Amino acid sequence: MVDLTLIIAGPQGGGIESAGQIALKTFVLKGYDVIGTREYHSNIMGAHSYYLMRVRERRPGAVRIPVDALLALDAESVLTHFNDVREGGFLVYDPATAKTRADQIQPMAAPLKERLKRFFAERGEKPTVEAAIKVAEERGVKPVGLPLKTLLKRVAEEAKTPPASVSKTVNTMGLAATLYLLGVEPEVVERAIALQFARKEKVVKINVIAARIAVEYVKEVYGPQSRIPDGPHRGRQRMIASGNDVVGMGKIVAGLGFLSYYPITPSSDEALYVEKHNYISVPQEAVGELGYDKLSVVTIQTEDELAAVNMAIGAALAGARASTTTSGPGFSLMNEAISLAVEAEVPLVITLWMRAGPSTGMPTRTGQQDVLHAIFSGHGDAPKIVLASGDHVEAYYDAIKAFNWAERFQVPVIHLLDKYLASTMVSLDREDLDPSPVVIDRGKLVEKPSDGYLRYEITEDGISPRARIGDAVMYITGLEHTPDGKATEDPVAREEMMFKRERKMKVVEREIPEEDKALLLGDKDSEIAIVSFGSNKPIILEALDMLREEGITARFVHVRLLSPFPGELVAEMLRGAEKIIVVEANLWGQLATLLRAYAGIKPQHSIVKINGRPFYDNELAGAIKRVLETGEERVVVSGGA
Amino acid sequence: MARSWLDYKSPAWVQWCPGCGDFGILNSIYRALAELNLDPEKLVVVGGIGCSGRTTFYVKGSNAHALHGRAIPLATGIKLARPELTVIVSAGDGDLLGIGGGHFVALGRRNVDITVLLHNNAVYGLTKGQAAPTLPAWVQTKALAHPNIHDNVNPVLLAFASGYTFIARGYAYHTNQLKELIKAAIRHRGAALVDILQPCPTYNNIMTNKWYEERIYYVDQEDPSYDPVIRTPEDYKTKMPKIMEKLMEFGDRIPLGILYWNQTKEPLEDRLEKLMPGYKAAPPGTRRISVKGKPFLHPFDVFKDRVIEVP
Repeated sequence: MVDLTLIIAGPQGGGIESAGQIALKTFVLKGYDVIGTREYHSNIMGAHSYYLMRVRERRPGAVRIPVDALLALDAESVLTHFNDVREGGFLVYDPATAKTRADQIQPMAAPLKERLKRFFAERGEKPTVEAAIKVAEERGVKPVGLPLKTLLKRVAEEAKTPPASVSKTVNTMGLAATLYLLGVEPEVVERAIALQFARKEKVVKINVIAARIAVEYVKEVYGPQSRIPDGPHRGRQRMIASGNDVVGMGKIVAGLGFLSYYPITPSSDEALYVEKHNYISVPQEAVGELGYDKLSVVTIQTEDELAAVNMAIGAALAGARASTTTSGPGFSLMNEAISLAVEAEVPLVITLWMRAGPSTGMPTRTGQQDVLHAIFSGHGDAPKIVLASGDHVEAYYDAIKAFNWAERFQVPVIHLLDKYLASTMVSLDREDLDPSPVVIDRGKLVEKPSDGYLRYEITEDGISPRARIGDAVMYITGLEHTPDGKATEDPVAREEMMFKRERKMKVVEREIPEEDKALLLGDKDSEIAIVSFGSNKPIILEALDMLREEGITARFVHVRLLSPFPGELVAEMLRGAEKIIVVEANLWGQLATLLRAYAGIKPQHSIVKINGRPFYDNELAGAIKRVLETGEERVVVSGGA
Repeated sequence: MARSWLDYKSPAWVQWCPGCGDFGILNSIYRALAELNLDPEKLVVVGGIGCSGRTTFYVKGSNAHALHGRAIPLATGIKLARPELTVIVSAGDGDLLGIGGGHFVALGRRNVDITVLLHNNAVYGLTKGQAAPTLPAWVQTKALAHPNIHDNVNPVLLAFASGYTFIARGYAYHTNQLKELIKAAIRHRGAALVDILQPCPTYNNIMTNKWYEERIYYVDQEDPSYDPVIRTPEDYKTKMPKIMEKLMEFGDRIPLGILYWNQTKEPLEDRLEKLMPGYKAAPPGTRRISVKGKPFLHPFDVFKDRVIEVP
């Protein structure tokens, strides 16, 4: 069974991202399922970044460290990751960097320099690349030196261009060599290169030459390597997409008409993906019913998040499926408008990609710290829907559901995701994104309102017929209002409207299907229960698979709907559980707080990660075991560089 | 069907103080709309927060009342979702130039076809008379503990720098002239500003009707040759010095009328149409989004850049 893990590391701007994508494509072309995630600094050039990926016959639900191979494209990468390679794994590096000392590396974080200094001082050594290689070698890692400068010269000679023009191929050289060591034939890598740089013939040519020269060198020095077999997923169309991508796709499939955004990591890539695909030819068979053959999505980069959310509200009022996408700091700015959307009953969808806070925090790192912020956003009694997705497939369908619910219940829907999911790419099949089970539900949208139309008509279910702005005389307002939308401070009218909006939330609780509220997974009868939400889902499932092999089983409650919180359902799922462990990426214990508040459950244990990196399945399995063995209240896991 | 101003009057009680400049502005809006004969259902008045924002409720339209400072973005979202609608923003100086200043600038940059009616009385009326961004330095209106230590922003100059393509100034009590300015602003295709000076008889005891009447004059009455219209890039060179002089003038003399009118720039909706032909015919607000209640796109058929043919 093939289960490969790989780190591609180097300076930001050094082609780490494209090397990672070429690697993913290579393995998908070879018939495997992949997951790849990107760790990077809030920086454009020079700071350390890496791509962490895993390859398997069935879709890997998590990445992990240690890895089978590390491609370290600079000295900092060696010194950052030399302990991240398993025994028997490969560490590919440039021997020219051997003498480089940690303190000579400008971009390297000062605390890491200090840790390295202490680590090597204990061994009586200086923190150099060669010392790090030695440590790895002692642990059974196989170092593979790749003299990049010499090889670059060969590439330039063969391509008949000056060396400077091929300098950007070092990542490809390193990658081709590493993949060869892992048992991938160079021809597949070359095909992946051609895909990556489609239509840029010159770039493809130079990179293919670079790949060949690197592989020849490895073959010469280290001998031919054994091949891995082809994977099971062959002979069909597949997709490699990030969380950002699939959410953008889901929105467009759902009928998105308007997307406003202010650039912020990690949400911008979703907006940019939509922007790239905002003009679509309608399939011929649909043109008749739709009445148009080109679909346009207005995508606007706004002056700030206040404009982004208020524009989306305006577009939603005018009848468009409208959304904005942001992260924690931007979401903070949107709070007032969320309250408006509640009061004015606007079907607004906000996609919230959580990153590590508080404040600007670590903008490019992951976290799950905005759960309570999302639920309690907006002043006043402002109930809303908050839905969290567990993986790419859930995220895609949830992006569609968010619009259906927003329009059906006329409340803002916050779709909660995180940086890990945003920048993690996975392989997908056509069926994974099949839109045919989905309906487009616009709720009580009125195409032709009659005279005397009342936007905020009092109804039994609290939901009023909704006409578009521009189709009837109406008054939309954030002031408390009478059924016709006129401002009022009358105490009786006020209560009527408060109760009306409350009734809608009762309908939400009743009509959202159970599987969208929470899922009971794992061994449903086990006395051990894991409770979590969001992108931890597939990681926990992997960890549970690992524990099962050791005879430990647990049930797993994956909470999907965070507001209104399905307290009774979750309590039911946890009935009979003796040990409840909450897994979440925040220190406050935000999900645990919700369990106490809404399910009347006081979880005894938590496993948290707050270093801005995602959970790894092996560290999570270890932490669960530790909780069971020691009974510790809180275990903090800290994997990742 | 011809409409009278009564067709735009909603039955709501108008809650402004006696003598408020807002009455003159509301009256001018009613008459401008009637003379343009706009369908109230296709008319969108977006109000800000403050006394002036209540205009939303007094005009019969398909209206929306925004958050403080956010009338322009809300109006922009509505206009871009349904470009066929007539969208008017009616908000105060504090709303548009203080808390919403960034959006005021951005509207010019985008040149969306929206008419902004700036109710400019230099104070925050509804919160009892604090200084607005248009109150000159060292003026101490009656609610202020000390003379104002902030300088005032010049709305028409800011609008020009931001890219508004129609800039006018009116006076709330001169309803005939103001009505004409509002009509021209609505007719203009692009971002239009009417800076409307108005006394606040309750809180601005300095900039009173008398104060204004001593200063205001109409540019075209003073100089019939004054030409604010830019029809070609050449016009810039010849007409801008005079226009600039008028835009900058605010003090002992305050010019009223159409100060600047640039007819060379297309509104944002036209740019979107250029990028996405068919946008206006099937705009986001009203186009159908499903076929027999289902989505009609499969990501594998649309997002080809992510698809890989595995041999």
